[in-house]
This record gives sequence, C-alpha cells and structure tokens, in this order.
Amino acid sequence: MSKGVLVDITRCIGCGSCTVACKMWNNLQYNQTAPDKGSGLNAENWTAVNRVQTEKNNEPVWRFVKYQCLHCEEPACASACFSKAIKKTKDGPVVYDVNLCVGCRYCMLACPFNVPKYEWNKTFPQVRKCQMCAGRVQTGESPACVSVCPAGALTFGDRNSLLAIAREKINSDSSYIKQIYGEKEAGGTSWLYISDVPFETLGFRTNITTTPLPHYTESILSLTPAVALGWGALLTGMYVYNHRRNEIAREEKEPGDE
Amino acid sequence: MDDHVKEDEQQLYKKVTRRSFLKMMGGLGLAGITMSLAGCSNSSMVEQAGGDGWLPQQYQGRGTWPAQVRGRVPIDPDNPSITRDDQKCILCGQCMEVCNNIQTVAGHYGLPLANDVICVNCGQCTLWCPTSAITERDDTQKVLQAIQDPNKHVVVQTAPATRVALGEEFGLPPGTWVVGQQVAALKRLGFDAVFDTNFTADLTIMEEATELIKRITGDIIKPLPQFTSCSPGWVKFCEYFYPDLLPHMSSCKSPQQMLGALAKTYYAKAKNIKPENIVSVSIMPCTAKKFEMQRPEMISSAHYWNKKGLQDVDVVLTTRELARMIKQQHIDLSKLPEQKYDSMLGEGTGAAIIFGATGGVMEAAVRTAYYFITQQQPPANLLNLTPVRGLDGVKEAALDVPGVGTVKVAVCHGLSNARQVLEAVRQGNAPWHFVEFMSCPGGCISGGGQPRSAVPPSDEIRMARINSLYQADVQAPRRESHENAEVLALYQDFLQHPMSELSEELLHTEYTDRGKKVREITA
Ligand code: SF4
Ligand code: SF4
Ligand code: SF4
Ligand code: SF4
Repeated sequence: MSKGVLVDITRCIGCGSCTVACKMWNNLQYNQTAPDKGSGLNAENWTAVNRVQTEKNNEPVWRFVKYQCLHCEEPACASACFSKAIKKTKDGPVVYDVNLCVGCRYCMLACPFNVPKYEWNKTFPQVRKCQMCAGRVQTGESPACVSVCPAGALTFGDRNSLLAIAREKINSDSSYIKQIYGEKEAGGTSWLYISDVPFETLGFRTNITTTPLPHYTESILSLTPAVALGWGALLTGMYVYNHRRNEIAREEKEPGDE
Repeated sequence: MDDHVKEDEQQLYKKVTRRSFLKMMGGLGLAGITMSLAGCSNSSMVEQAGGDGWLPQQYQGRGTWPAQVRGRVPIDPDNPSITRDDQKCILCGQCMEVCNNIQTVAGHYGLPLANDVICVNCGQCTLWCPTSAITERDDTQKVLQAIQDPNKHVVVQTAPATRVALGEEFGLPPGTWVVGQQVAALKRLGFDAVFDTNFTADLTIMEEATELIKRITGDIIKPLPQFTSCSPGWVKFCEYFYPDLLPHMSSCKSPQQMLGALAKTYYAKAKNIKPENIVSVSIMPCTAKKFEMQRPEMISSAHYWNKKGLQDVDVVLTTRELARMIKQQHIDLSKLPEQKYDSMLGEGTGAAIIFGATGGVMEAAVRTAYYFITQQQPPANLLNLTPVRGLDGVKEAALDVPGVGTVKVAVCHGLSNARQVLEAVRQGNAPWHFVEFMSCPGGCISGGGQPRSAVPPSDEIRMARINSLYQADVQAPRRESHENAEVLALYQDFLQHPMSELSEELLHTEYTDRGKKVREITA
C-alpha cells in the first residue's frame, strides 16, 4: 500500500521540530538562515516551515506551512531523469540514487512544485530533495519529521486512509477549505494538505494540471534513442553554467515566502 | 511554485542550449551518463534514499506509535526574551516538557493560532534545555555601547534574587550572598550609578498594601482577592488565559518598572541630568523582564516630561548575561571587595530581600499592611510567616488583624499551580483577600535568567538560594518596607503619599486582554 503524509495546516505551531529532525536524520548541514525563518528549500534544507501572514474572517492570522517534496504519484522528475536516478517506490517515496545523479537538473525543470535543489557550491553538484525517509517508511516507521511533530500537524499512513481522514475533517468542520491539496494536483501526490485559508494565499500553486505530468515529459523523451542521448549529454554539461544560474536559483520562490 | 519564474528558467535553459550545445558535447566527459546508462550501480533502495542519521531514542519506535515526549516549543524569531540556535537542538523535548507540564503554556491553547506564538517569556525552557540551544536574547552589546558613550549616564538596578545566584557563575556554592561584590563588579564595568531594585520592592509594598486595604474597605471598587503583579511572566499568563480575572490584578507596576520610572524622573531631577541622557539598565533573574520593559505602557517618564521616545527601562540583562560581561573583563567576582549601593534609590529592607523567593512578596506585604491598619509593629509570627515559605505549590495562611478580622492569603509559584488558584477564583470559591503569583517554580531565585547550576533546576539549589534570602532578612537592620528611609524621603520630597496622583502616574499601570490570541481547546 502506498504511504503518504497528511499535513493539517491549522495545527502547525511553527516549532520547526520537523526541519531539525530532517537535518539530523539526513545528516544535512545548517546554513545561515534558520529553517523556521522562512528560508525555503535548498540543497541542505529538504523541508522548511514558512510563516505566512494572512487573514481569516478579517482578522490577521499567521499560518505555518511545512513544505518539502510532495512525492507525486507519477513524478515528472522521475520521467524527466534520463539516467533513471529518480524513481517512485511502491511505498510512496520518490527517491533518487546519488550514484546515478549526474547533476543535470532536468528534474528541477520538470517538477511542478519547484522542489529539487542543486548543490550550487560543489564542484560536482547533485540534485537533492526530501526522500520521505524511504528507509524508515520501508520498515513501517513514519518519516523523521512526522515522528517529532508535537502538535499533531502531520499524520503518516496509507494514502487512501489519509484521504478518508482528510475528507472527514474538511466535511465535519466548516472552517476548512473544501479541498485536499495533493489529491488531484499533478495527478495526485503522497503528501496531502488541508487548510482553513485558501491554498493560493499560502503560496501553493493552484493552477496546476490534474493530468499526471509525465504524460508531457515522456512525449519529449520517448523520441529516438539518439535524440535522448543528445539531451542527456547536454544536461550533463549544464553544471558548467551553475554560477550564472546561481542568481536565478536565489530568486526561486517557495510557498510562504513573502 | 511560481509560474513566471519557472518560465524564465526554461527560457534561460533554451538560451544555454542553443548557444553552447556543441561546446558542451565536446568539453565534458560523459563518464557519469555512460555509467548510469550502463546501469552499473547496484545500490539498494535504503542506501540510495539516504537518511541514516540519529534521532533521540523516543522517536525510533518501529511502527508509528507517537512518542510521549516529542518536539520542542515554538519560538517566535521576534521573541524579545528567548532565542534558539537550531544547530544545538537535539529534539530532546525538555523545553516542551517544562512549558507544557510545569508552566502549562504550550499545548494549553487551541489551534489554529491567531497571529501570535504564545509564550509568557518566563525562560524556564532556557533552564531545561540540556544543550543551551535556547538562551536568553543577548543584550550585552547595548549596555557596553551605552557605557562607552560619554554623553550617557548609565544607571543600573539589581533584583533581589541575583545576589544569591550570581556567585554560582564564579564557582561559589549555590546561594552564596554576593550583594557587595555584585555592586563592586557593576562599578568596575563602568556604570555611573548602581541602584537596588529592593528599594522599589519596598515601594511596591507601600503601594500594593495601600491598594489592598482600599479594596478591602471598599475605597476602590475592585474585586478581591487582589493578585500580585510583579512577575511579568505571570502577568502575561493571566492576560492570555484568564483575562476575565484581570480586575483582580494589582495596578502596581513591578519593582523594575517603578525604579525605571523614578530614575528618569525623581533621580534625574534631583541630579539635574537630562532624562534622555539616562540609560536605565536592570540586572534581573528573569527573561520576562525583557518583555515587560518593552510593553508600550512602560513609558511613564515620557509622559512626565512630555518627551517622546523615553522608555523607563532601556535594557534588561539576565544574571547570566551580567556574569558573561564580568568574565569578559576578567574580573573574578569572588575576590572583589564589597561595595554599597548608591543612595536615593539604593536602600532596601529585609522585606524587599525576600521578594526573590516564593511567598516573599506576600510576607512583605502582610508586615506593612498590618502596620498600616493597626499603626502597630506586626507580631513576631508575621515576621516569620512559615506557612507561606517553602516549595509547596500552593500555600495558604490566615492572619488575625485587629480591626479587620481574619485576612486570608494564598501563595503559588509555577504556572500550573497558578491555574488551580485561578480556577477557584473563577468559580467564586476563593476565600482569600490577597494572592501572590510568581511565574517560576521557587520564585525569582529560580527565574529563567538565573545561572544554570543544575539542569534542569533542582529543589536543592532553589532552597539554598531561598535560605540565603531569609537569612539576610533576619539580619537586616530594618525588616519592614514602611521603615525604608529612602522610600519615606521619596514620598516626602516627590510622591507625597501612596496612590497619590503622581504615584498613580509613575508607579501604576494597566493590562492588556490577550484572550483573543488564545483559542479554547476543542476536540
Ligand atoms: S514534487 Fe517534484 S520532486 Fe517531488 S516527486 Fe513530484 S515532481 Fe518529483
Ligand atoms: S513539527 Fe509539526 S508543528 Fe512543528 S513546524 Fe513541523 S509540522 Fe509544524
Ligand atoms: S519562555 Fe516560558 S512560556 Fe515561553 S516557551 Fe519558554 S517555557 Fe514556554
Ligand atoms: S530542550 Fe533544547 S535541545 Fe531539547 S528540544 Fe528543546 S531546544 Fe531542542
């Protein structure tokens, strides 16, 4: 059964425990910006909690949005990856193999959620992102971030039962928006969100297609093998340009960035 | 997530493609791609998925059982009192433990949040955090700058509780009495005048006892029991969780804020110093004082002089920050000769000394209230009010006061204990006339800014500090607030009498209903 995580945005207190657990479990470095200050994702920040100042019933409110790879049911990043470094596991996590990643960054372009990030400061950079603690999930444990959340904002379980829980919650409590983000977006994602303020005000992309994205990317990649190899070689070379693109990367927007 | 950014990416991508396709083809080794296409990697799923780090044992359960102790307290990046270094946090859950179970703040409000990360600024989490990931917000630079500025007259006050704890930072046994050394160290650091918050502790008693009597006699129409108001963590707690009971709160400012207001009015006038040139610093056992000083209503000196921008207290340093400053100057506190506080705002009685311990404010108030009502010295048992001393969570006493009858008082410390008393008051089951609340378990001697001599704080160290205060009280030449000669001079020369118009302006305050920031807990 495919697993997932349900994020109830109304319950998040912004403590940042999840971001610290992610660093600890994945041996990630700290950079200058504290995770709970809204720095967004980068090669060492696989998850971030951003504070959004918005309004509810004409009162100013703060909402905290935990963000990470959504682990698409049919990941565009994986089908864009010519070297097959990225794949969707049967448990749900979309994982990548560091030995296979050549740093081409095609997944970065393919991802509709702007998730994979590049190691800009390395000589042989790779792309990095949340892997939903696949090793833990495989043994039935929840991802590290879920295990530490003190507020009950994160629920781990079978995607189908999470959808049922989410539906029950938004139907029984009128303060919720009647939408489960991730149920259909990009063809469905393992991570699901519910909220009491509209998703677009929290920085979520809501104009996303509900058709699984690989249908588009594959139509490009399943050209003749020779062409595919050409693409691959090109993409391998891209890291030469990483300094030029550094600036663009800095301007990338994450949900919750103000 | 942003469409046009993404389009830009793709644009650039195409540009790069066209311009340098061939160059790249020529210039780059294809080892990686060759390898990956050949499929010569055999890493397992777990290996490739990463994640084999360390998490505390409680999170390592097979299956998805929730850990009982988990996560950490949320801290607003703009919290004036405390801050956290994520790199030091090990997710042990101790901050959550103390905040949730002992202070009953975290987890005691409904979700979603309004626009506030709820925190009473008590700083107990800084005492429990094993790695010092959570600390006080460091304000020592502001003080150093002020001292170096020749145009500034920098005055400092020290709270009752720092004198029995500062020594611990310099290797002295817990509870060592270092009042004279502390003054000497402050003078060496370059402060222009060193005052004692005990002076305004006595003043608080004059005002608060007067207010209590007025409530009892019906001179002012405010409910009983009267609540003490000198612990800013407690005050904010009441504003958040029991705003309906705020009319019970004494209108008296805390001793810190009274001294701040007087330094820029009474003292400035007498010494002919422009109030805007005075920088008023306080050394406190408390992180919540950093919050209290920046409350918008704490600008009585600005009203008094009709000058914008004046703040009664400019910087609050915790005992730990003072210790750091002293160490940075390579001063060994334990070797310093004792020095005395400066006059005008420097005298304190035994009653003020015990403000630092749970029960101390009550005992001090009882001594003076007795005198105010009967015009007689209180009997010996009121000078040694054992029922309100010690570390029991809620303590009670009944006192016979001629002319009034039995006066009932209660004392509690630690905010979970406060809830018991507050629930009784809410339900109308409170027999008391006066209740003392202190935010921190043990009172200010174990405040969130005190030395971390045991982590988490131990009752042994709390008692060592408390005993030291009571011992000093017994030895003090004057033990009742109304005997403080400098306080009497202040009334004679400046304020006239307790709760005079000027006293009200400078020494009393009002409170903010923060109930809207806290949702009822549902489900
Ligand atoms: S969110 Fe992006 S990186 Fe994550 S699985 Fe989907 S396409 Fe891939
Ligand atoms: S651990 Fe839970 S409550 Fe804390 S920031 Fe993460 S999701 Fe929010
Ligand atoms: S300062 Fe007090 S109320 Fe605030 S987080 Fe720490 S323990 Fe909780
Ligand atoms: S007590 Fe300190 S180390 Fe432990 S969870 Fe809290 S902040 Fe982290």
